Amino acid sequence: MEGRKLKDMFGSQAKPQAEEGRAKMSPTGPVTETTSQAIGGAPARRAKTLEAKEVNLYYGDFHAVEGVNMTIEPNKVTALIGSSGCGKTTFLRSLNRMHELTPGASVKGDIALDGEDIYANGVDPVAVRRLIGMVFQQPNPFPTMSIYDNVAAGLNFNSSRIPKSDKDAVVERSLRGAHLWDEVKDRLDKPGSGLSGGQQQRLCIARATAVSPEVLLMDEPCSALDPVATLAIEDLIGELKKEYTIAIVTHNMQQASRASDITAFFNLDESGKPGHLVEIGPTDEIFTKPKQKETEDYVSGRFG
Amino acid sequence: MTPPPDNTLASVPQRSIFAHTDGAGGSLPSWAPYGAFVGALVFCAAVEAALGWFTIALMLVFGALVAIVAIYGWSRAVEGRRRAKDRAITMAIATAFGIAMAPLISLLYEVIKRGVAGINWDFFTTTSRGVVGGGGAEHAIVGTLIITACAAVISVPIGIMAAIYMNEYGRGPLRRALTFFVDVMTGIPSIVAGLFAYALFELFLGPGIQLGIMGSLALSVLMIPIVIRSAEEVLKIVPNHLREAAYALGTPKWKVIVKVVLPTAFAGLVTGVMLATARIIGETAPLLVTTGVIDSMNTDPFSGRMQNLAVYAYNEYRSPGVMKQASYDRAWAAALTLIAIVMILNVIARLVYRRYRTEIR
Amino acid sequence: MPEVRTEYQQELDTLEASALGGLDLVSSALSRTLEAIEHQDIELAQIVVADDDRIDGRYLEVHQALITLLATQSPVATDLRLIAALLHVLKNIERMGDQCVNICKVIPMTGHTPPADREMVKLILSMGTHSKSLISQAKRAFEERNVEMARDLVVRDDVVDELNRECFQLALAIGDDADRREWAMTMMLTARAIERIADNAVDIGEQVAFVVTGLFREFEDASHPHPDA
Repeated sequence: MEGRKLKDMFGSQAKPQAEEGRAKMSPTGPVTETTSQAIGGAPARRAKTLEAKEVNLYYGDFHAVEGVNMTIEPNKVTALIGSSGCGKTTFLRSLNRMHELTPGASVKGDIALDGEDIYANGVDPVAVRRLIGMVFQQPNPFPTMSIYDNVAAGLNFNSSRIPKSDKDAVVERSLRGAHLWDEVKDRLDKPGSGLSGGQQQRLCIARATAVSPEVLLMDEPCSALDPVATLAIEDLIGELKKEYTIAIVTHNMQQASRASDITAFFNLDESGKPGHLVEIGPTDEIFTKPKQKETEDYVSGRFG
Repeated sequence: MTPPPDNTLASVPQRSIFAHTDGAGGSLPSWAPYGAFVGALVFCAAVEAALGWFTIALMLVFGALVAIVAIYGWSRAVEGRRRAKDRAITMAIATAFGIAMAPLISLLYEVIKRGVAGINWDFFTTTSRGVVGGGGAEHAIVGTLIITACAAVISVPIGIMAAIYMNEYGRGPLRRALTFFVDVMTGIPSIVAGLFAYALFELFLGPGIQLGIMGSLALSVLMIPIVIRSAEEVLKIVPNHLREAAYALGTPKWKVIVKVVLPTAFAGLVTGVMLATARIIGETAPLLVTTGVIDSMNTDPFSGRMQNLAVYAYNEYRSPGVMKQASYDRAWAAALTLIAIVMILNVIARLVYRRYRTEIR
Repeated sequence: MPEVRTEYQQELDTLEASALGGLDLVSSALSRTLEAIEHQDIELAQIVVADDDRIDGRYLEVHQALITLLATQSPVATDLRLIAALLHVLKNIERMGDQCVNICKVIPMTGHTPPADREMVKLILSMGTHSKSLISQAKRAFEERNVEMARDLVVRDDVVDELNRECFQLALAIGDDADRREWAMTMMLTARAIERIADNAVDIGEQVAFVVTGLFREFEDASHPHPDA
């Protein structure tokens, strides 16, 4: 999974087993480095950069988000904050090509993963989503599957036969990475829906990391959780950034200030107008001396 | 926003919720509704007897009305106006329920009473072939099972796949057209379905053909829209966030449907299929036209006529043969068997649902 | 834009006014101290010492309220800088009050009729008057968030520093006279205390710059001498 280039995914499902361990020569450029085998035992690695250039997002004719230029830095947490309806979730969903799943939705502009445009012709959206994973607001483990199968779902759905021992290793690694292993290791075959809200969300995070993506997108991952579970997830995010590039949408400014390294503030001039990026910068600066008055007013709570 | 001026609150009379302003503070005994009903019945019976118009139905109807008035009055005196209204309406609703249940109970009673007379070992083990005045329904039972099974084999894949298309893929005019046609199909009279199947086979095989499979085809015309309807409902209930979770893992659309949507909807789909089967299993008119009447056992749907319970019952009733009562008994027994099969299917559907249903939040 | 967090905003404004009001308390303490020096008024000096409790009380009260606001309202950006600045300013105010107390404790030591040098006393009163105007300028600069006015405090502080040096020279000269030596020493201490009061006013000016710009810079210190010095 590490080191695959998007062009290798040209319209088909890649077979990671076949590529693993082989020197990869890409016709267009130097080989991206990989530091470990894909399955089992993944030490800290350099994650990828997501860059958005002049991104405009539409629902049919409705212009939802305009002119976003920003970089999501590797091995850092970028928080997207802003009032309701300002387009931050829409923008997040365009980063892993989920936006186009909504009927009539369209994207203009460039979004590039380590320099490669994910919206280029011939790039398979399914392959993009394997590299850029997402965790949602409502914890959503698959109800018909056990905990083990939930974590392994990505592997089961995507690839061809993986030996059980390798699968076990991935499941354990992912659950450990999500700080959930000790709590569920004795009941891996029980249904995923029997866990508490915070545990379910960690299960979803484990499920997302099991396929070893480069980037993790999180859409308000803690809104449905109680404060203790929220802090546990924030701690987890702090650990995850050592391996992944992370972007979070959050309504909760304290969460953005606690958990992120970079903050991007989106805003809406008035209802019906497109949302846009107002300011992006290191979190400590945004919350101690923001540059734009709009940002200052928003973070100080002077408008909702 | 300024708070409302104080005098608006002062003008509302202050009432303690603990004070009983209705006057009545008591409560009726728990047997009160039943007592009122029985009392009302007795009262009406007495009135009718006195007037000489005694019938049970009249007694029940008037008894119900009197009971409603009685419980209202009694409760009003003891508990107060609001509770009295509550009790009266509850009694009225219970009565309505009773009225709705009455035909069903009456039907079951009749079928069981009359059908039991025809149930015996012969009924299940012999056919009508070569028998005068006797025989059984073995061939009809087997025929019903085969025809229905074939209809299910045709309808279920088509119905579920159509529902998947309409729910997961369909957009725009084609989908709207499909929905319209499914709506129309749910209203097709069963005889029309039978005639359609007959005409279709006549095209290829000439007139006068009657085959088990034709009956299955006719039944599937009736069954498909039901399967589509219920499957669509079940698929709609599968929350979208489960699909999104699967997409976000990088799963192609068809796999999302096969590995996430269908398993989650499985219990509901099975229930839908069972209910559709139960619905068409007793259809008589199309089978009359397509599968015909035959006295002997035929287990091949592709050759020759096949007997089934619905047509058998009709036949035994219409052409009773020498021993009329025995034939009538057998007709009722066939009806009872049909009801029993439907009940068994329903029970299986419930058990499957209970076993496989998933908590969807 | 609807008004939100009005109570929080009002609380913050009230606390700022309260903190800056402490500067008025200090100013009046300094006035009375100067009067005590001028007339060698020991009773007045004692009153100033006792009244310092009011300044300390103001410090504790506003300090506590600011901590509470931090804990309960999660202020960020300008509000946060303001609160941090006010905590600093409160400390400065408390120190200024303490300096007045130091002066007033020293005055009785020289008795009711000390061998005063008129010129020395004049210098010290001049320093005191300057410091008073520095205090009121600092207060105005904070209220108006005027960074230029705050920077100007450095220049005016130089005047006080110059006067302090003259006092020192004068004290050295008097020092040869055994009778007046003790008095001269206490006057030096007094001059030093007033010079410290002026420095505290400059510190308040630095806080003004911090609130406005978000940058904390010392206007002038040993390692960054003022360009005009």
